[in-house]
Amino acid sequence: MSLGFRYVGQPVRRFDVDKVYGGALFASDIELPGMLWIKLVSAPYAHARIKRIDPSEALKIPGVVAVFTGEDFPYKVGIYAADRDVLARGKVLYYGHPIAAVVAESLDIAERAAEAIDAEFEPLPAVLSIEEALSPGAPVIHERLGEYRRASFINPVPGTNIANRVKLRKGDAQKAIGEVDVVVEETYRSDPQSHAYMETWAGAAAIRSDGTVEVWSSHQSPFAVRNLLAMSLGLPISKVVVHHLYTGGGFGGKAGLLLEHIPVLISMKLGGRPVFLQLNREENFYYMAQKPGFLFKMKTGATKDGRLVFHIGEYYLDAGAYADYTVNVIRSSTFMATGPYEIPHIHVDGYAVYTNKVPTTAFRGFGILELTASFEQQMDILAEKLGIDPIEFRLKNAVRPGVSITPTQEVLAEDAGDPAGVIRRAAELIGYHTPPQRSDEPWKIRGKGIAAAWKGPVQPPNAASSAIVKLNEDGSVDVLVGTGEFGQGTIIALAQIVAEELGIPVEKVRISPYRSTDLVPYTWQTVGSRGLYSDGQALVRALQDLKDQIKEVAARAFNVFKDEVEIRDGKACVSGKHGECISLERLALGYTFPSGETIHGPIIGRGSHVPSGTTYLDPETGKGNPKPFVTFVAGGVEVEVDLVTMQVRVLKAVLVTDAKIINPGLAEGQAYGGILMGIGLALKEAIGFDEIGALRNPSFLEYRLPRVEDMPVEMVFESLNVPQRNAPYGAKGVGELTALPWQAAIANAIYRAIGVRVKEYPITPERLLKAVKEQRPDIITELRKIMVGV
Amino acid sequence: MSLILRTTLPDFDYLSPSSLDELLALKAKYGERAAVIAGGTVLLNLMRLGFRYDYVIDIKGVRELSAIEYREGRGLVIGAAATLKDLENNEFVREKYGVLWDAVRQIGDFHLRNRATIGGNICNPTLQADTIAPLAVLGASIEVSSMRGSRRVAIWELVKEGGGLLLDPDEILTRIYIPELPKGSRGAYFKVWWIAGIAALAANIDNPRERIVRVAYSFAPSQELVEGVEKIFRQEKPLKVLIGDAINYIKTSITPPSDARASREYREHLVEFGTAYLLRKLLGVEV
Repeated sequence: MSLGFRYVGQPVRRFDVDKVYGGALFASDIELPGMLWIKLVSAPYAHARIKRIDPSEALKIPGVVAVFTGEDFPYKVGIYAADRDVLARGKVLYYGHPIAAVVAESLDIAERAAEAIDAEFEPLPAVLSIEEALSPGAPVIHERLGEYRRASFINPVPGTNIANRVKLRKGDAQKAIGEVDVVVEETYRSDPQSHAYMETWAGAAAIRSDGTVEVWSSHQSPFAVRNLLAMSLGLPISKVVVHHLYTGGGFGGKAGLLLEHIPVLISMKLGGRPVFLQLNREENFYYMAQKPGFLFKMKTGATKDGRLVFHIGEYYLDAGAYADYTVNVIRSSTFMATGPYEIPHIHVDGYAVYTNKVPTTAFRGFGILELTASFEQQMDILAEKLGIDPIEFRLKNAVRPGVSITPTQEVLAEDAGDPAGVIRRAAELIGYHTPPQRSDEPWKIRGKGIAAAWKGPVQPPNAASSAIVKLNEDGSVDVLVGTGEFGQGTIIALAQIVAEELGIPVEKVRISPYRSTDLVPYTWQTVGSRGLYSDGQALVRALQDLKDQIKEVAARAFNVFKDEVEIRDGKACVSGKHGECISLERLALGYTFPSGETIHGPIIGRGSHVPSGTTYLDPETGKGNPKPFVTFVAGGVEVEVDLVTMQVRVLKAVLVTDAKIINPGLAEGQAYGGILMGIGLALKEAIGFDEIGALRNPSFLEYRLPRVEDMPVEMVFESLNVPQRNAPYGAKGVGELTALPWQAAIANAIYRAIGVRVKEYPITPERLLKAVKEQRPDIITELRKIMVGV
Repeated sequence: MSLILRTTLPDFDYLSPSSLDELLALKAKYGERAAVIAGGTVLLNLMRLGFRYDYVIDIKGVRELSAIEYREGRGLVIGAAATLKDLENNEFVREKYGVLWDAVRQIGDFHLRNRATIGGNICNPTLQADTIAPLAVLGASIEVSSMRGSRRVAIWELVKEGGGLLLDPDEILTRIYIPELPKGSRGAYFKVWWIAGIAALAANIDNPRERIVRVAYSFAPSQELVEGVEKIFRQEKPLKVLIGDAINYIKTSITPPSDARASREYREHLVEFGTAYLLRKLLGVEV
């Protein structure tokens, strides 16, 4: 597979820094001289009018510097829909909505002062579900929705709770209803869930005497934080510097602007003094945006020979009180519309809906997780109704690169990948057609299931990247890129590319995980598994530029033509077996002839990349090309359903992607993480709300994460390594993809085990029991017979 | 009560007595204003979410409360501040009181068991207390102490519905006593998350007249139920039949709670089939 490459395709170990020994610096490690501490104060109402906030007692406490409320900061912040207040203004929109910020000399004092804040509220009727939010006469959560700044492609419906409405139209789905033999109409749901990243959010800000705003925070994309701060607060880009440190996990939850505006605005009010805000775990559940809950209605038709003909969908995301990023997530679900299958007639309406619940944002998979969790159950239900094997049914309808028309009415690119290949291979690896081995315990029933997905980065057509490569005097290389490092390891894959191109040991390549927006070149965002593809291409161009300069200098040193020079093993050599060589060290600062005359000076390569051919989409039909590339993935599982507890255990998981891989070790790590995350989303995790909208489980004590014992005994990861055109070494990132198939694959496996279908995630023991009683009461009767003897 | 949502630990005074007398004097002085802390794995979380105490009295400094002692013929005495890991590692607990050992090793993870204590587990007012049902089937009694003296009562007499112990404001749980069991007795614990735990104990299986089979639930460690089941198993019928009888009796005797973690309906399913599973395993009755 490595085709003679020394580094590309090899499982190079991470060498950036050893986190295990505490060497990595995170935003929470920041301590600036004279720093003040911020503590947010929030209200225990899901929806209420703020009648009074009285900080007088808090201000009497020695060490308290200031107390700010929403009226102090009349800004709307956000990326796609600027619907977020800095602190609640007029109304509290969700349980835990911050209403004030206390600033004090120490965290201890700030915490005490926060409790001394007195406030009075007038409770309002709360909207706690998508259905309630859409019902006629429902309280309108954002009364001034029509006035918010928004991206041109976002369509809120003022006067309602609809934050964005998206349309996709391909063919004529209504007419096609008459042309099919089988129709499946189903509704799929999920509770809101949490990214549950390890590092809770932290951010510090200070203002320099020249007015430059400096920010240190836990985020995925330093340039997005810079741009959104500037845009939201009306600052020039030149006056904002964002420092990126190691970030302890993001999974989409730290994309865009987080809470950086709070320390920034407070520092501005306090003459530029450094201020710091660090959330604890409970606060992180309350204040940070989470993964939206969903309600996807689907009606899909096929002919009896197993050909998909139409698909009609109504997709709703429960955006919570702020839909900032979620308005774009629903676009992703809507424009991908179905799984990786060709359907001639598609009609989907997507909605992001405001409710009085925790704000929501991007999550690993960006709308495709929700789509896959729903549509891949739909596929199994259709296959069964048609009497066709689910694998055969998928293969028959899988999109064909270079031939199929996508839901957004473009021909699928010829180099898109191998959709049928990943499905076939995943089915083989899980042994889909071989019955599972029976458990020794008759109340434990096993089954196998599969799900497939496609995904590409959701980004505007001008999502650019750039890179700079500096050759050092010892032949080592420093690489400057703007992409964030939050555990995914992209910087190691990028280092492998540099080592490969220059023929130097990978240890001689340095890509610092720490960066500042004034010191590294631009990249749009680190999201959607785009880093390796986009920053990788900018880097490859920077390396071409660097090599070109090396060749030019070497050619003059050797007195040969430039194209007679080649670069290998860290040297520039005259072509041919016995050609003369000169080491890169001697060229780093330019070449010095024996006479002392020196040419060129330091060698620095630079490169830029912007995807070609992606466009905005037609607002009425969705027609256009939204993605620079797509990647296909399929996952298979074998599960064991314990009828005594109704708990489901995943015994084996297999994951197949078609992406070409730069570092199989890192990819495998992503796969294991993605599998476990998928198991949590499928079976355990739910953010719960009580009847007044209070978040019930704001801690890892009650929010059920998957644990080591939930890991499958056996996990297999394979890549078909189909090269992507215009990608570095044909490679694409797989971070997001690895989490996609599991919810539906597990649900399908449960069905194949016990004939019970659960269409609501997570599939908790409670929900499974309810479904068994409704769909297969005979299972309980039989269980009683064998276990109780009655 | 402030209208502000709490997310941080409130202020309190931390008191660390080094003797039992000192401990009881402090509890007598501060009463309900003082919480007792051992491992802190539950208390600190509750305080972050709004439970308030002006004083927190740490009992880990009172060394005698961490002891675990076994005496042949007398049984086991466990200090309230003994950690779950101490119990898990104790050979007598593992060999002679398997139901307790089985429950303890299923609580939390390794790190948590290093800190959490049996006293804390019994006293905590909100979480499922996984040690209570095992102690009920073991016929354990607990010692409760105050400056007024000590009293020893059966565990089920002080367990509150919904968790926690019914103690007077000046009282502290100090020790747990478990009697010696018949030779060859065995036990097991069955648990689903924090939804429900089932403890079962069996001894003298082959002799109906002396047979001991007991069952208790984390949400209902009741004396009546333990004794009721034991009576059923004294009958001279095949074990398979007795299991069915016992389960039918249990189903009509207890009403599991419904709460945010699970519905009554789901807990009823666990009671029926979890108990069947556990008793079959313990009594060696094949399905």
